[in-house]
Amino acid sequence: MNHSPDARRSLALRRTLVLRWVGVHALAVAAALFFVLPFVFVLFTSLMSDQQALTRDLIPHTWEWGNYRKVFDTPGFLTWWRNTLVYAGLGTVLTVASSVPVAYALAKFRFRGRNLSLMLVISMMMLPPQVVVIPMYLFWAKQLDLSGTLWPLIIPMAFGDAFSIFLLRQFLMTIPNEYLDAARVDGCGELRTLLRIVLPMAKPGIAAVALFQFFYAWNDYFGPQIYASENPGAWTLSYGLESFKGAHHTDWNLTMAATVLVMAPVILVFFFAQKAFVEGVTLTGVKG
Amino acid sequence: MSRVHPPNIPNTLRSKRRASALRAAAFMSPWLIGFSVFFVYPMVSTVYFSFMHYDGFNAPSFTGLKNWSYVFTSYPMFWPALRNTLWLVVIMVTCRVVFGLGTGLLITKIKSGVGVFRTLFYLPYLAPPVAATMAFAFLLNPGTGPVNSLLERVGLPSPGWFNDPAWSKPALTLLAVWGIGDLMVIFMAALLDVPTEQYEAAELDGASAWQRFRFVTLPNISPIVMFAVVTGVIQTMQYYTQPMVAGKVASGVIGGSGQQFEPGYPDKSTLTLPQLVYNLGFQRFDYGSACVVALVLFALSMVFTAFLMRRRGGLIQAGE
Amino acid sequence: MPAHRRRAAVTLAATASIALFASACTGQSSSGATDDASKETTITFWHGWSAPSEVKAVKAAVAGFEKVHPNIHVKTVGNMNDDKINQALRAGGDKAPDVVSSFTTNNVGKFCSSGAFVDLGPFFKKAGIDPDTTFPKAMNEYTQFDGKRCTVPLLGDAYGLYYNKNLFKAAGIAQPPKTWSEFAADAKKLTKTSGDDSYERVGTMPTYHGYEFTTEHILAQWSPTYFTADGKSNIAKDPAFKAGLRMQKRLVDSLGGYRRLEKFRATFGDEWGPKHPFTQGKVAMQVDGEWRLGMAEDAKPGFDIGVAPMPVPDDQVADYGKGYITGTIAGIPATSTKKNAAWEFVKYLTTDTDAVVNFANAIHNVPSTLAALKSPKLKYDPRFKTFLDIAENPKSTTTPASANGGSYLVTLQNLGYDYEKGKVTDLDKGLADAAKQIDTDIAQAK
Repeated sequence: MNHSPDARRSLALRRTLVLRWVGVHALAVAAALFFVLPFVFVLFTSLMSDQQALTRDLIPHTWEWGNYRKVFDTPGFLTWWRNTLVYAGLGTVLTVASSVPVAYALAKFRFRGRNLSLMLVISMMMLPPQVVVIPMYLFWAKQLDLSGTLWPLIIPMAFGDAFSIFLLRQFLMTIPNEYLDAARVDGCGELRTLLRIVLPMAKPGIAAVALFQFFYAWNDYFGPQIYASENPGAWTLSYGLESFKGAHHTDWNLTMAATVLVMAPVILVFFFAQKAFVEGVTLTGVKG
Repeated sequence: MSRVHPPNIPNTLRSKRRASALRAAAFMSPWLIGFSVFFVYPMVSTVYFSFMHYDGFNAPSFTGLKNWSYVFTSYPMFWPALRNTLWLVVIMVTCRVVFGLGTGLLITKIKSGVGVFRTLFYLPYLAPPVAATMAFAFLLNPGTGPVNSLLERVGLPSPGWFNDPAWSKPALTLLAVWGIGDLMVIFMAALLDVPTEQYEAAELDGASAWQRFRFVTLPNISPIVMFAVVTGVIQTMQYYTQPMVAGKVASGVIGGSGQQFEPGYPDKSTLTLPQLVYNLGFQRFDYGSACVVALVLFALSMVFTAFLMRRRGGLIQAGE
Repeated sequence: MPAHRRRAAVTLAATASIALFASACTGQSSSGATDDASKETTITFWHGWSAPSEVKAVKAAVAGFEKVHPNIHVKTVGNMNDDKINQALRAGGDKAPDVVSSFTTNNVGKFCSSGAFVDLGPFFKKAGIDPDTTFPKAMNEYTQFDGKRCTVPLLGDAYGLYYNKNLFKAAGIAQPPKTWSEFAADAKKLTKTSGDDSYERVGTMPTYHGYEFTTEHILAQWSPTYFTADGKSNIAKDPAFKAGLRMQKRLVDSLGGYRRLEKFRATFGDEWGPKHPFTQGKVAMQVDGEWRLGMAEDAKPGFDIGVAPMPVPDDQVADYGKGYITGTIAGIPATSTKKNAAWEFVKYLTTDTDAVVNFANAIHNVPSTLAALKSPKLKYDPRFKTFLDIAENPKSTTTPASANGGSYLVTLQNLGYDYEKGKVTDLDKGLADAAKQIDTDIAQAK
């Protein structure tokens, strides 16, 4: 064959490109397997019979969809769902409502102590909840008699959450001051400016904060363990899942079905709100 | 803070300033209350309790430095927890950053199916920690788990994972690496921000792929790497749910089974500082010693947070 | 905030917090049983049972009580463990329970010394019941601390030896071992290795992670004294501890060594599941509680299960038949406002012979009164008799209550782990260090 040097070079180039494409995608597929297979195994096991779940089989012989019914029929499971929704839902609303004004002040007001406040917000954001848990527990349990409920976890959210404040502040910083000045010139007070101008522009940021907060409450294990453990009627899914395993010892199929049911809502919410979520992660990169 | 007002400011300006200070205070008020009630008060109280003997039943009594000396010299879980934290900081954080950066790079190189791959890589990060740990405790179960049965099928040794003190931290690391979606997204964004001209210039100079990564990519994203490392360290300080749940599931001591779960199973190998607060405060009900550990945890977290805020440039900027 | 105002705020916060703990001390309710147990009332009963059959048994026991005391209604809350109980007792409040039962005796000392549970001594006196003649000796012991009876035994657990009769026959062993030396010899005979580094089966799994083969269960056969009269740890002084730990270490070494055994143990199924290595024939002898009999038979093991008391030290053959005893306990929290009604329930549940027998029949545990142990209404597999005898045996021992709960057992257990592993080689020093640790922990708890 008589290829011109040019054609030969482009052929070589194309070959390297193809090779690189294959290499990169093979690697990506391998990585994808690492990330996805655990889900697959969990899902398969959740559909096995209790006998098969203890064997080394990877794929169910018979597909036991009834396992999921059994999980729902477990006393308490629906209560845990309800509690989780209350904790996550109410907590999210309160957090957003209380954090937006603070973030706005930190982003757009000039006042003495602003930098200090921001530093304190960041410090609080990095504070492990266990640092202050002893006095807080005594406060909620002994002063207010609220142990055995989720209120000690929900009420503080009405007073601003450091992470949400920080994330919102980062977002609000990106809104040009000209918009605000224009509103102020039009005679809007700060509150009106915030509600009319800033809020609509900050929707993606608020959505991200709301999602993070929702997930935080959904995933929280330490909080319910401390405040709700003695009252099964106040457990959340994350906390209840553990005791579910305790009560079902080696019924791994049921435990895995319950695990799927705890994971599924989070993943569904993610698919509906993927954009806001990824934006939020990129914006701060902290926590989640 | 304590700066004195210059005396010759016109009155209107001063009242304007006062109005703006009031306005700021009003907007900041939820957080000001939250900060005092949920931070200042408990911090003061934690310091106070660290010098008290208090079991929750009988009134607190002053014990001086007894709790402090107990935690540092006699509490058998303290040093193992610190050693584990060091292990996790060195190995787990490194693994997370390397794999996070690796998948981030991979995603930027992929030509087809980016969206699908990105979603698949990201999903595990969303799995609730208790559920994810439960799943891994099952997958890595030495007797019946699919991972060991696959390992045995290809003739590899099958470790005891969460049941073996030598393997429990690697197992936790595996779980942590599985959920690197957050780091991947951050690195992806950072990698896409690297100016393409720099790559082109390097390519013209005949730089190899590794050299391009080493001399173009890395310098550009180093603030983000730094950020990932420092926040990783802070997260490690808070590491609680995964080792606790993994220990409970692997030891079989959960809930109503009668025995009390002693955190750290197996052999104290998964102890972390937050678990000590739980063990001392909510299992032994030695609130005083629990507060000592809480203060150690506080000090360590704040050292790294200060580091996070002080780095000029890329990290969290406290100022503008 | 100007500096002086900031200081003021800090002071204010400090004062406020001090004011808070000042009022945070729970009023130490003196036994204060003032309620009228003949009036219509509802009490709350917390227990740890969770399996459907167990919950059913609890319900049946409650129904039996409500028949006798139609005015007292009992609300039950299951699946409670000691972490939750401890926390709830400290929190107090009106959601707190009136009767609490716990699967472990570990926290009895804490419940008593802290005043969390009321002293039931006066209640017993008033009812004309003498605990010393009502409960088996070991159970009577673990339900009190420092002379205070703040809990009552509610069913018990006795530990014995399960063995695989088929394997025994195949190995030509005529009867279960009576001494630890016989046990070691039998274990060796029953062990079957595979390859250089593994087993097909072990005579017994002697490492302390081998399920119920724990320090406290094994040491019980030496009848050790855990504490001196003045409450100091006795483990370095009583030779029983050294002898017991040594026996186990020799056993581990003779069966192939720690590493190899632990590797094999990692392949075992869950203790509470049908994949228990004993029922699978991977372990020929298993030290375990009376509940294993039912569980093991449920797993349809395909061999005959034999039951015997645990072996004794070679120089104590005369005491063969004793064992380790523990059990569920019940008590009345000091925060309860219905103590008299609660007492009626506790009295019925723990001292009424028929109630105890019925409950034991349903839960498959050992009954916890001497009368119930002899009751003809007790239904059981003939082999279960071994456990009833162990429970009745006055030489059977238990682990005593301590001011800081089960911490001393954990310390001893950790020494056991380190010794079997070879991390601790000087056992005398190890025991002395552990004793010191136990004393420090107890001093810290006081």
